[in-house]
Amino acid sequence: MSDTVMDKGFFAPKGGSKIMEWLFTTDHKRIGMLYLWAILIFFSVGVCLGLALRLELFAPGPTIMTQQAFNAIFTLHGVVMIFLVVIPSIPAAFGNIFLPLQLGAEDVAFPRLNMFSFWLYIVGGGIALTSLFTAGGAPDTGWTFYVPFSSISTTNVSVAVLGVFVLGFSSILTGLNFIVTIHRMRAEGMTWLRMPLFPWALYATAWIQVLATPILSITVLLIAIERLLGMGIFDPARGGDPLLYQHLFWIYSHPAVYIMILPAMGVISDIIPVFCRKPIFGYKTIIGSSLAIAFAGSLVWAHHMFVSGMSDTAVMVFSFLTFIVAVPSAVKVFNWLSTMYKGSIRPEPPLIFALGFIFLFAMGGITGLVLGSAGTDMHVHDTYFVVGHFHFVIFGGTGMGLFASMHYWFPKIYGRMYNKRIATWSAIIIIAGINGLYFPMYLLGLAGMPRRYYDYLPQYTDLHQLSTYGSWITAMGLVLMFWNLWHGRKHGRVVGKNPWGAATLEWTLPSPPPTHNFDEDPIVTHGPYHYDGLIPEEDAVNESEGDK
Amino acid sequence: MYPQIFSAAKDVDRAFLIILGFSVFILVVVTIAMLWFLWRYNVKRSPVAADIRGNFWAEVIWTVLPTIIVLGLFWTGWSSFKAMRTIPDGAMEVLVEGRMWSWKFTYANGKTSQELYAPVDTPLRLKLSSRDVIHSFYVPAMRVKWDLVPGMDTEVWIQSDTVGEYDIFCAEYCGLKHADMITLLKVLPAEDFQAWLDGSAETEGDEILRGLALMEEYGCFDCHTMDGTDDVAPPLNGIAGKERLIILPDGAKRTIKADSHYIKTSIMDPGAELVDGWDDEMPPYEGDLSDEDANVIVNYLLGKDESGKPFKALEHPGLHFAKVEGCLKCHTTDGTTTGRAPSFKGLYGSTITVRKDNKEKMLTADEEYIRQSIKHSTKWVAEGYVDSMPPYDDLNEETIEGLISFIKSLGGKD
Repeated sequence: MSDTVMDKGFFAPKGGSKIMEWLFTTDHKRIGMLYLWAILIFFSVGVCLGLALRLELFAPGPTIMTQQAFNAIFTLHGVVMIFLVVIPSIPAAFGNIFLPLQLGAEDVAFPRLNMFSFWLYIVGGGIALTSLFTAGGAPDTGWTFYVPFSSISTTNVSVAVLGVFVLGFSSILTGLNFIVTIHRMRAEGMTWLRMPLFPWALYATAWIQVLATPILSITVLLIAIERLLGMGIFDPARGGDPLLYQHLFWIYSHPAVYIMILPAMGVISDIIPVFCRKPIFGYKTIIGSSLAIAFAGSLVWAHHMFVSGMSDTAVMVFSFLTFIVAVPSAVKVFNWLSTMYKGSIRPEPPLIFALGFIFLFAMGGITGLVLGSAGTDMHVHDTYFVVGHFHFVIFGGTGMGLFASMHYWFPKIYGRMYNKRIATWSAIIIIAGINGLYFPMYLLGLAGMPRRYYDYLPQYTDLHQLSTYGSWITAMGLVLMFWNLWHGRKHGRVVGKNPWGAATLEWTLPSPPPTHNFDEDPIVTHGPYHYDGLIPEEDAVNESEGDK
Repeated sequence: MYPQIFSAAKDVDRAFLIILGFSVFILVVVTIAMLWFLWRYNVKRSPVAADIRGNFWAEVIWTVLPTIIVLGLFWTGWSSFKAMRTIPDGAMEVLVEGRMWSWKFTYANGKTSQELYAPVDTPLRLKLSSRDVIHSFYVPAMRVKWDLVPGMDTEVWIQSDTVGEYDIFCAEYCGLKHADMITLLKVLPAEDFQAWLDGSAETEGDEILRGLALMEEYGCFDCHTMDGTDDVAPPLNGIAGKERLIILPDGAKRTIKADSHYIKTSIMDPGAELVDGWDDEMPPYEGDLSDEDANVIVNYLLGKDESGKPFKALEHPGLHFAKVEGCLKCHTTDGTTTGRAPSFKGLYGSTITVRKDNKEKMLTADEEYIRQSIKHSTKWVAEGYVDSMPPYDDLNEETIEGLISFIKSLGGKD
């Protein structure tokens, strides 16, 4: 461990109030760091809520909380995790920090708009949390806010949906900013086909954010109008249609799943070649599949509604499209595996997290086929099977993608390295824990256990207990991982510019990168996975440690 | 897998096996390949990476092949769905109503129940409707699930090939007691089902009502209670078959079982077999009460009808309606409150504060108030509660009368 005085890069104080210079910064790296910290804080809140739910479900009947509390907590867990953690996670935090760096730009296209997006995020999150403590109490509708229940619930639904409305604008503006940045700010020689896959994934994501999020905003606005002005848009008693709400909600919320997963896929596509010392297999196919997912993913929303009472023809069409969207995801997995084939693999922690992503995402993805198939969905829809499915995809997928990003870019951000052995162990514990936590849910769902149940029949007890044990293992893995990173920030071994030997532009900068990014505008002459002449600095470290 | 009793769901289970089998196969192949590459191409064994940027044909194969496979899987799933959705002609119709947080099943002859009774091997067309929010009718053993959407008519069909009892769940989150919205599907042999369907709860209810009315008429409840508490006389609920230590007029003590003879004697000539510990205060009803009426009371207390067949439950017939209509999910009968609605106990005749058009008003909970509250729940909301009860303006007169009489039987701060 070295205490050499390091160049603090963009962390260096500018003089003046430290709080003010961070809160009102327009530096994309600082904004990204603000997002990252905020997201991690909300993430720990969401994790604690999830653990409380699992504890309540440890035994049938009341265990640690009342029925109303349970309903409010699963609603809150969903709202916090989806709107405050997963949707912004990788794009807002790592996208902000590394998109301009990977493109060779000095910042995003609209730095002040970027800061405004962050503030909308904080204000929106604040409003959503305010709904807990003000009139009526915490919303108990589930994060889906299905009408007519959300119209008649006496809890504070209006305030919560206002929070979601504001958060939506944060997402739209960030997407807009990224699209313009990618179109206009690429360095000389950075052609579209020399762009790393992470910006490509952000590009596909940004289009969904810009096109789909307004529909969410309109929908929550309609809920507010229905609740506050008493207009019957969705309420059948006043001539409205509850299914209209479900369509509008899922037209956003299904593409939102791809907002969540595409950036993680981008990160994984960037990480795997680096640690295999081999160009990505099928670069153009991966780009194509990202765009195909973004496009086809916008046409499958009603697969959440197979048993809602919509027409059987609609069920057939949406089931068909759902199966089609499975193909590009599968293609990506095959390309990642082929990248490993005949590589020279360094099993560093970011790669372990990335492979964890592939395994857990596959665990979740394949059960998507069961849910997308109309006949089988009729049985497992709205059961624990679905809960297991989306937690594997979102926590196992996006979550692991986020952790992989944190371990991959950590040395770039802090100029130090965490303890790699502990990092690898934490990855393995988390992967094991996630399986223990969510695999029993598949079995519960197949046995007919409905979701959002405070209480359950005795035949489901064993599997619920297994799942709760799994939640404890997962929590231990998370604590270990975060502690290791926290410790590494200040006390880790100092590393150079390019510890992993990566070929994208951010690794040509000092760590941490300076405020103005590049001293000279970079000129790009080759693709992002061109490793000739780049030897990972970590190789020497690993070798000397191996000698010990 | 979980037991399965629905012939049309055989295809669904087959689709499960095919899709899950294929999925697990892919998962295993991907995982093994990943771990094998991780070991085989570790930097120790593979110091230099090969320069492979792609392979056109490999990519064509793993795009086209999965496409064909998933289309096959789609078709498997869709055709199994189709079978579940094609309702056979002539299926027996049952109306299924969901509301927070209970079920009501209405059969062709107008009989209602809280549990779904079905004859074995007979297709049932379930016509689904909801009174308040969206619910979902789910029978895991049938692989059947369909939403009940307010303002929309949906339907689904079931048919069981096995006699037995199976869980019915609500699968669409519907508020506070969503998890309590569960009931049973009772599949009976055809003749048992018919007997159940024909066995009219009304005649049974009539006898109970008559017994109750007679006891009220003759003032039995002035001294006896029916809830186990002592008044000036011993409580009468659950008396059938109880051992009693009685004192004969000569002072001798004897233990006997409370049978019809004993109960009748106690009514007609209470002093003849006095329960130990109580004073001989009750007047003899001999001559006052006809023999026939006495028998009705005895039968009521013993929980049997005239032919000696036991009642299904010794309860007020209105309680049946209260259960079937789901009243007891929010209203209690013991004076406690769920926080969502006032208790029925002590409601009748009490003075309560209600809000009407945002104006507070005091009134006495009389028959008319109870009737209006059932039919137009939003009109008179009791102070301290929110307007969350759906209006029940479609109940027939008999049900409403039954409910009112039931609430009256629990009421009366007089």
